[in-house]
Amino acid sequence: MGGVVQVQGGKGTGGQGRVLPRSSAPLFPCIVKRGIRILEALALLALLCALAAPPPILVTLGPQQTVRTTNPKVGVHTRVTDEVEEWKIKKNFEMVREMDASWVVEYFPWEYIENEEGQFDWAHADLVVEHARRQGLQVIARLGFVPRWARPKDSVTSYLDEARYPTFANFVAEFVRHFAGRVQHIVIWNEPNVNFEWGYRGIAPAGYARMLQAVYPRAKASDPSVQILAGALAPTLAPPGTVDAMNDLDYLQQMYDAGAKDYFDALAIHAYGWTAPADEAPSVQRVNFSRAELLREIMVRNGDADKHAFITEGGWNDHPRWTKAVHPAERIAYTLRAYEICRGWDWLAACALWAFRYPFPAQTYLDYFTFVTPEFDPKPIYYEVQKYAAR
Amino acid sequence: MPRGNSQPSTDGGPQTADRRHQKASGGRRSAVGGRLRIGTLPLALAVLIALTIYAFVIWFPKPPPKPDATWVHILDAGELRVGIDPSFPPFESDDAKGNLYGLDIALASELARAWSSANETPIRVEYVYSGFDGLYDALKAKQFDAIISALPYDPKKTEDVSFSHSYFNSGPRIVVRESDAMTKTYYDLMGKPIGVELGSTGDAFARRWQRRLKFDLRTYNTPADALRALRLGQVDAVFTDLVAFNDVWRVEGGIKQVGDPLVSELVVIAVRKDTPTLLAQINAVIDAMKRDGRMEKLYAEWLVARGGSE
Repeated sequence: MGGVVQVQGGKGTGGQGRVLPRSSAPLFPCIVKRGIRILEALALLALLCALAAPPPILVTLGPQQTVRTTNPKVGVHTRVTDEVEEWKIKKNFEMVREMDASWVVEYFPWEYIENEEGQFDWAHADLVVEHARRQGLQVIARLGFVPRWARPKDSVTSYLDEARYPTFANFVAEFVRHFAGRVQHIVIWNEPNVNFEWGYRGIAPAGYARMLQAVYPRAKASDPSVQILAGALAPTLAPPGTVDAMNDLDYLQQMYDAGAKDYFDALAIHAYGWTAPADEAPSVQRVNFSRAELLREIMVRNGDADKHAFITEGGWNDHPRWTKAVHPAERIAYTLRAYEICRGWDWLAACALWAFRYPFPAQTYLDYFTFVTPEFDPKPIYYEVQKYAAR
Repeated sequence: MPRGNSQPSTDGGPQTADRRHQKASGGRRSAVGGRLRIGTLPLALAVLIALTIYAFVIWFPKPPPKPDATWVHILDAGELRVGIDPSFPPFESDDAKGNLYGLDIALASELARAWSSANETPIRVEYVYSGFDGLYDALKAKQFDAIISALPYDPKKTEDVSFSHSYFNSGPRIVVRESDAMTKTYYDLMGKPIGVELGSTGDAFARRWQRRLKFDLRTYNTPADALRALRLGQVDAVFTDLVAFNDVWRVEGGIKQVGDPLVSELVVIAVRKDTPTLLAQINAVIDAMKRDGRMEKLYAEWLVARGGSE
């Protein structure tokens, strides 16, 4: 079949079309015209897509803020390490500042920053520190989490062989150098008196003391003004010989016995109240908030009266079913009292309680330690701390 | 405006080159102008076939799905294994002699009774104790068949477990004095003094709405303290849960609960994802209990008559 080609009329034809036999139709102009129309359609589609797409979220550091508080020791442990979106990092710190807290403790996992040996990626850590500082907050950085390349295959992230202490010390030195003038307090490791926090390699206060001895001079060489915090021990009544944990009081004394004294500037303390009020008297037989005073006594006994301590974790939990929880009203009352007690402890520089907010629900009792929900809804305790710190 | 010959027409207007071409090449009949387009017939046939298949699927009875292994085991062994943390009156408590009691215990007994009757085989309930936080893991590890332990519905867990229909809503409600005929919702409490247990869900709800509704919020250390303040006229309403309300109302009276829960906190039963038959059987009993009033009787016995102070 010969067929015909329809040619639409245009300006030049006065709107009149012509029907030409296919064999004699000028194919090239026709193809060009269609091509142009397709291109026009694609351009229009691209424009529509661009208009339909949500604009990128613009997050800026914003103006420099100042914390206004009547108790400058009030602080919280934040959890923005795993926060991907910048606005959430900013929102966390804004809300901390608006709660009138001055201090934040934040975790900076070694593996996140030095994922490959010698290659440091500071992007996320910088975001965290800069947003915190812009809100007028003082950052206490907790360092740990051994990268894959620095530990044996299949070991846990808390496993660090002694032969690798210089490697960790190098990371700490780099961290201190990078954040010189911005982060002045560094916590070395977390709860080394708990077996799983010590890589399941047998709890060893002397081993932790050797870690401090490796880290301290390197950190000071990077920034002589940085404060190295040791300890951050888990409060526990574990009897001697327990595999899973060592009594924190015994551990601290053994740290001193192993020569740790000259290798830290301050002690990090974990002060959980469990079911006891903040005012309950300290006792070697009790885990309560005042147990911090017993750790302090050990510091004084070992000639460290001049050093400060920082509470870098602590507080109460109001889960309705957990055996170590208290009622919500008790949690609030104990928390406010704890901040007030801390104000009176001249040897204590800050009291950062666990935990301001989780990035996602833990779906366990842990969710009931927080001040703010993952959706940034303030819990009543948030408002009560705000009220307390403002008056 | 007259069209040129080259304009395609769909309204029976001047013939176009295309149409002339169609006619020349054997032609197609157009639906326009009352004529049937040839392409309509296959379409109509396809729709007819689809409707026939749909009707077949809908109206003909499907063979019953094969019951899951857990349900088969429950029937074979005559035992429903229930995971429970018996430390939450009035839902579940242990009298320290190994005797369990509470609303959840009564509910589990109802499940067993209903299934025994329907399947003509005795089914008993075996309780497996667990800490509350360990219940989900123990369920997954098949240490028991279901969690019946005043378990709050958690949408984030639905990838891991299946939840039954809710059998109780433990969210906070509005409690007012018995003489109050005006208060129906929290909007009616604008600007009025409200009592809450400090730090509770009711407290969080009140604070969320305080800016808009200007509540005069007053906090108390316990729900009982807040409810007593209500009876004394110090506040006009209290936001608290049904268990706390019943504990005070049963002894002191003079107060009533109005409206729906302010926040939904649904209490459910959880089973493993691979036990759809068990889930369906649980839901059937819960639904039946709600319909025939047995659930109300459980509430009356365990929440009203006995309550959380048991």
